[in-house]
Amino acid sequence: MSDTSEDRISIRTRLPAFLRRADPAVLTAFGCILLLLLLSSLYSSNFLSLNYLLQQLKVASFLGVVAAGVMVVILLGHIDLSVPWVMTTGAMMACAAAGFGSVGPVIAIPFGIICGTAFGLLNGFGVAYLRIPSMIVTLASNVVAQGLMVVYTGGFSPQDSAPPPVRWLATGFLIPGLPNAILVWVAISAMMIFLFTRTAFGRAVYGIGNSERAAYLSGVDTRRVVMIAFAISGALSAFGGVLLAGYSSKAAQAMGDAYLLPAIAAVVLGGTSILGGRGSYLGTVAGVILITLLQSILSVMQMPEAGRQIVYGVVIIVMLLLYGRTPPNR
Amino acid sequence: MTTAEIQATSPLFRMEGVSKRYGGVRALENAKLDVEAGQIHAILGENGAGKSTLIKIMAGVVAADEGRMLLDGQDITFRSPAAASAAGIACVFQELSLIPDLSVADNIAIANPPRRFGLIDRRAQRAIAEEALARAGAEDIHPRAAVKDLPLSRRQMVEIAKALASKPRILILDEATSALTAGDVAKVFAVLKRLRSEGLALLYISHRMHEIAELADTCTVFRNGRNVASFRAGTRSNSEVVEMMIGREYSNVFPPKPPRAVIAKPPRLECRNLGWGDRLRDISLSVAEGEVVGLGGLDGQGQRDLLLALFGVLRGATGSVLIDGVPMTIASPAVARASRSAMALIPEDRKTEGLMLPMTVRENLSFAALDHVSRGGIIDRTAEEQLIDEMVRLLAIKTAGLDIPVGALSGGNQQKVVIAKWLMRKPRIVLLNDPTRGIDVGTKQEMYQLLRRLADAGAAILFYSTDYDELIGCCDRVLVLYDGRIVRELEGRDITEHALIASALNVDDGDRRGTAA
Repeated sequence: MSDTSEDRISIRTRLPAFLRRADPAVLTAFGCILLLLLLSSLYSSNFLSLNYLLQQLKVASFLGVVAAGVMVVILLGHIDLSVPWVMTTGAMMACAAAGFGSVGPVIAIPFGIICGTAFGLLNGFGVAYLRIPSMIVTLASNVVAQGLMVVYTGGFSPQDSAPPPVRWLATGFLIPGLPNAILVWVAISAMMIFLFTRTAFGRAVYGIGNSERAAYLSGVDTRRVVMIAFAISGALSAFGGVLLAGYSSKAAQAMGDAYLLPAIAAVVLGGTSILGGRGSYLGTVAGVILITLLQSILSVMQMPEAGRQIVYGVVIIVMLLLYGRTPPNR
Repeated sequence: MTTAEIQATSPLFRMEGVSKRYGGVRALENAKLDVEAGQIHAILGENGAGKSTLIKIMAGVVAADEGRMLLDGQDITFRSPAAASAAGIACVFQELSLIPDLSVADNIAIANPPRRFGLIDRRAQRAIAEEALARAGAEDIHPRAAVKDLPLSRRQMVEIAKALASKPRILILDEATSALTAGDVAKVFAVLKRLRSEGLALLYISHRMHEIAELADTCTVFRNGRNVASFRAGTRSNSEVVEMMIGREYSNVFPPKPPRAVIAKPPRLECRNLGWGDRLRDISLSVAEGEVVGLGGLDGQGQRDLLLALFGVLRGATGSVLIDGVPMTIASPAVARASRSAMALIPEDRKTEGLMLPMTVRENLSFAALDHVSRGGIIDRTAEEQLIDEMVRLLAIKTAGLDIPVGALSGGNQQKVVIAKWLMRKPRIVLLNDPTRGIDVGTKQEMYQLLRRLADAGAAILFYSTDYDELIGCCDRVLVLYDGRIVRELEGRDITEHALIASALNVDDGDRRGTAA
């Protein structure tokens, strides 16, 4: 955890100290990114162009926002399977809010996020107070969200298009040359690092992930922490959905389906233990970039869809096997 | 017993010079034991005297390091529990070994179910179960009933029937009655006596002296892994038996106890009529500031539950708790640690309850006191650092650094971290659950000093220990628990090993006269 507190800019100046204290999984993930870029540049030098890399970071930022929320829940030793339809809910509700007259476009983004937070709170309540395994609760609320969205849209793609603020957030340029989506991801990442390393809540999340009993006996209100964690995951999933709707300028049925596995894989590839309690946020960032690059490079190489899926799955299994061999040392 | 004459020449089972070590700890040393058919042989001893190891060796669960065992005068070694079972040795363990979701018949025949065409022959299995249940005197239990639907006492009967189904010649009962009520115990006793008259050899382990007096033909006392004496039942008084069980040599340096001052203030911690299911019954106690009060008694008589109940962990505990004379509802550890009560609990198992082993020493130390060093949920690192440094110095915690996993520390230093993490909150009430278990003598001494310093600084301390010497050396008063009740309160010079053990066993002979000052 200590390595995440390092400012990313100071990595170069403090390389020896950083290397000594860094999580080997994080270093492996960043190493794999470099290796992947190096190998792909043999195929085409375009892979190293600034334009391509920025484009990839932009695509990665949607996954990055979702994975940040999923990571909080995984650190607790739980899982959030409601990502796909909470994302879709966030996207559809943000677009729907655009129809609320003149205030519509203003409240679109917060409204989408609030809907996702509500699903997160529902998940958290089920896990923390009703003591239902998170896998079941979140799977169920995923289906509930799906049902509600089908009722809302009648099963068709909704007609509302994403309001201008949503589109601006995903595709605009506040700083010329740097897509806003990347800025959003950087801002959320900064908040997550602060949350994990500097707040009592962050410590409690790691504590519960390691031993819920010890955390409870230490006087931590474990149920509240679990509730909040799931709420964060729901909010960020919905926010990811909002960004995605802005990117494709409208919400669509099942638009979040392609994000569940990559989000969990990104967190775990970044060295976070799927059993909870261990992992650093920079690892998740690395995992997100790695997975996005892998998907992109395979498709640029014009590998057929089936082959891409196979390579993608095999890479995840191999990486997890590699991590499984490293001694538990954080 | 007239039956003793049948096997006068050589015993059914004999154990000679058996020793067993676990790492550097000697669990059993040069033990010998003769078990005769048609007799009930009681094994007595304190916690950790070697009784469990003895049984495990007999039942083939662990192998002895040296020594030999003879069955019918023939040398025998058991490579597995199945081998011991085949030779006719069956065990009824204190933890029930039944599978709740299976039927009674399934459980009874689980080790060796009758087979037909490779499948379990349910009819034959039922017949076996019915016969075994009848032999155990529990014909009323239906073989097809699910074990989880039976009350505890019936399950214990199934457990005995299961042991009998293997047609043993020697039946070992390890604390088999500890879960039973007095009425059930009487039924079990009738069964055991009948089995004895059928020629079985029974090995009976219990802490309850009156049970042993009623049942046993022969007694063997163990202490520190050696058998101290074997004698015919009824030839020694309870008091003499207790003498045999104690007498360990220990020389710990305990800090001197200050004279007890009479304080007019209400006690810092008081509880009235505390109850929790049948684990805690009508417990009333008080601890004044500056006082160290011990909890004694045999393992598992409710001491741990009492500490957890006071700390707000147990749901459904009844009774009232008063802090400084003010009634308080303590519903969770979060409430217990808050400033109004300022309680701290050093839990039983530091590896799962006290610490997060993979997390760093720093994170563990400040974990319970984060609200003291943070503002609006944001940790003030300077304040955290100061408090941690202070605690590391105060308790002399030896660590290679604050950023290594706490699991890398020695047991004694881990325990220091658990205590330090609570001392950071400056608690006014400290509950300790066997804090010196498994740590070295040097650290133990430091802890005794620390306890007394805390008390002198005004804390109220409630201290459960399985080590009688600690209770004698550290405590101003000791409350002895038995079966979830406080059966005796010892104070000052009355806290002696003899008094502690006698009241722990709940024997009521001449001890009290001897200790009245």
